[in-house]
Formats: sequence, structure tokens, C-alpha cells
Amino acid sequence: MRACNASSRRSLLILAFGLLILLVASLTQAQDGGAAITDDQVNAIARQMFCPVCENEPLDVCMTAACIRWREDIRGQLAAGRTESQIIADFVARYGERASATPLDPTLRGLSVYVPWLIAGALLLGGVGVFWRWRSTQRHVPTAPPADHPPVEAADEAAYRATLERDLKD
Amino acid sequence: MTYPDPLTELSQPDAAPPRRRGLGPFGLLALIGVVVIAAIFGVALVRNSQSQPESGTAPDFSMTTFDGQPVSLSGLRGKVVVLNFWASWCGPCRDEADALEAMWRDYQDDGVVVLGVAFADLDPDSVAFMNEFGITYPNGPDTGTIISKELYHITGVPETFIIDQQGQVRQFIYSVVNEQDLRETVDSLLAEGESAS
Repeated sequence: MRACNASSRRSLLILAFGLLILLVASLTQAQDGGAAITDDQVNAIARQMFCPVCENEPLDVCMTAACIRWREDIRGQLAAGRTESQIIADFVARYGERASATPLDPTLRGLSVYVPWLIAGALLLGGVGVFWRWRSTQRHVPTAPPADHPPVEAADEAAYRATLERDLKD
Repeated sequence: MTYPDPLTELSQPDAAPPRRRGLGPFGLLALIGVVVIAAIFGVALVRNSQSQPESGTAPDFSMTTFDGQPVSLSGLRGKVVVLNFWASWCGPCRDEADALEAMWRDYQDDGVVVLGVAFADLDPDSVAFMNEFGITYPNGPDTGTIISKELYHITGVPETFIIDQQGQVRQFIYSVVNEQDLRETVDSLLAEGESAS
């Protein structure tokens, strides 16, 4: 009876110890999950944004104090569980469209995304058009007859010439 | 009257077909492309060439201060306004914070308003900066950077504009304010106001 009690007590102790280890492990994991926002995660969002002070400098490579603070803000928002688009939208709301590399406003987005393609397309078509015109003018340039051959006249033109010369003589 | 010599005409080689007048579809597209490119570069050039107003009517704006009070520049007509753009991450802004607060404390009863606009700053950082320097003059965030970039075209911080009682920009200070110079300018504007009334 006493041996049985000792055995069950030992089992309970082992169970409690196991539960304690599980609890500690899960708490550690939860803490790691909250703090494990890497620079790569922050920079993945920061490279889609621009420095608030410098001209045309992406946020991920900018080293001004303002950029560092913005990146820290991104890190904080990621830790709070916000998504990439939510974070960028938040920055745009606070600092305007210039904060984002690609504007969120549909009109501005359309302009920035499609205009370069339209320009490239127009230039390409223009180039093709110029080439086409050049080809057609080349096709119509009269070729000089060889020096040792008289110019070839069409039969009806020769007949007309003969008639005309005869009339003039008369 | 002279007629062209038919023989000469006949002896001419076949003339090239008459050239089409006007633009073909390719030419039209190329022209549209050139116009679009020119327009885009033109707009960009105009935007880049805009600089801080150093005279004339100060662009009007309204904002909500960090303590929730609405402020508009036009609502301050009749007062001298020292409009200061700053940020908590800006080193030189720390150098001038005490001078601006001293100005506000000394002149607020004489018809002078110091108005701070936080540029591209995080709100908690701005408030911490204000607490650190004991700033009591009205301050607010520039939501969307509309005041700083769209209206006053600032290129960095700190930048300060002194606006007279009629809402005209009288001085633009590109860097840190010098308290003595600031006091002289404000004094002269107050004197102008008194002599006018």
C-alpha cells in the first residue's frame, strides 16, 4: 500500500514537472514570437517607402534619424500584428502619398504604374513609324539606269514621243 | 504665257509619288508620346522649382494641435505669427526650442503667436520633445505633410516663417532661429502695427 502511494506520488511529481516544462517552453516561445521582428521583415516594408526628408531615397537604406524612427515604428506595428498594407496605409494617412513608393491613391497609382509603359509604347510605335516611312521612301527613290544602257522607255511613251515630234515638224 | 516643254517633261524620270500630308497613325502616336513626356517633365519641373514663400500672402492652413485645439492661420489675422516647422529627430530644432518658448512667454500678451508644426514626426516623439523642453505654445502634427510640403515647400527642419498682422510673409529663416534677430523682427512688426492703427 505504501509502495503504491510512493509510486503514484512520483508519477504526480513527474507529471507536474512535465507540465511546468511545457508551460515555461510555451511562455518562452510566445515571448520570442512577439520580439522576433527581424530587420529583413522591417526592410521588406521600408523599401516600399521613401525617406521623409531626403529626395528619392528608399526608407530601407536611409540612415537619417527620421528614417531610423520610421523603421522602428514599422517594427512596432509589425509586432502589434499589423499587415504590410495596413502599415503603409497608416504612414500614407499620416504623412501623405509621398511616404509610399507606389501611391495608394488609384489615380496616382495608375499614373505612376502605367505612364512609363505608355511612354515606352508610344516611343516604340514612333520608332516603328519612322522606320516604316524611311523604308517606303527608300522604295520610291528612282534608281539611275546603268551608264552603258539607254534609258528604258515604255512602249506607249515612245509612241507618244514619236507622234509629238512628228507634229512639231509639221 | 509660257508653257512647260512637253519633251522636257517627258524626259524626266518618274517622279516620286506625292508625299502624304499630315500625320499618319504612327506619327500621331509618337506626337502624343512626346506631348505626354513633355507634360510629365513640365509638371515635375514646376513642382521642383517651387520654393518657400519669402514674401506675399502666407498660405492659409488649419490643423489640430496635440492637445486637440483647432488652429487656422487666417484665424490669427491681426497677430504676428512665428510659424516654426520642426521635428523631434531634428538636432538643430533642439537648439532653438528654448528660444521659441521664451519668445512665446514674453510676447503672447502683445499679439504674437508662436505656432509649431511637427514635420514627418511620430506623435509620441513630438509630445515627448515638447515635454522635454517645456513647450507651451500651440503645436500640431502636419497630417499628410500638406502644410510643410504642399503649401510652404520646406526642404527640411527647422524652417521658420514670420508672418505679419495682415497675413504677409515678412521673413523666412532657413535654419536655426537667432533669438535676438527674432525679437528685433517681431518688435519692428509690432511697431508697424501700432503706427498703422
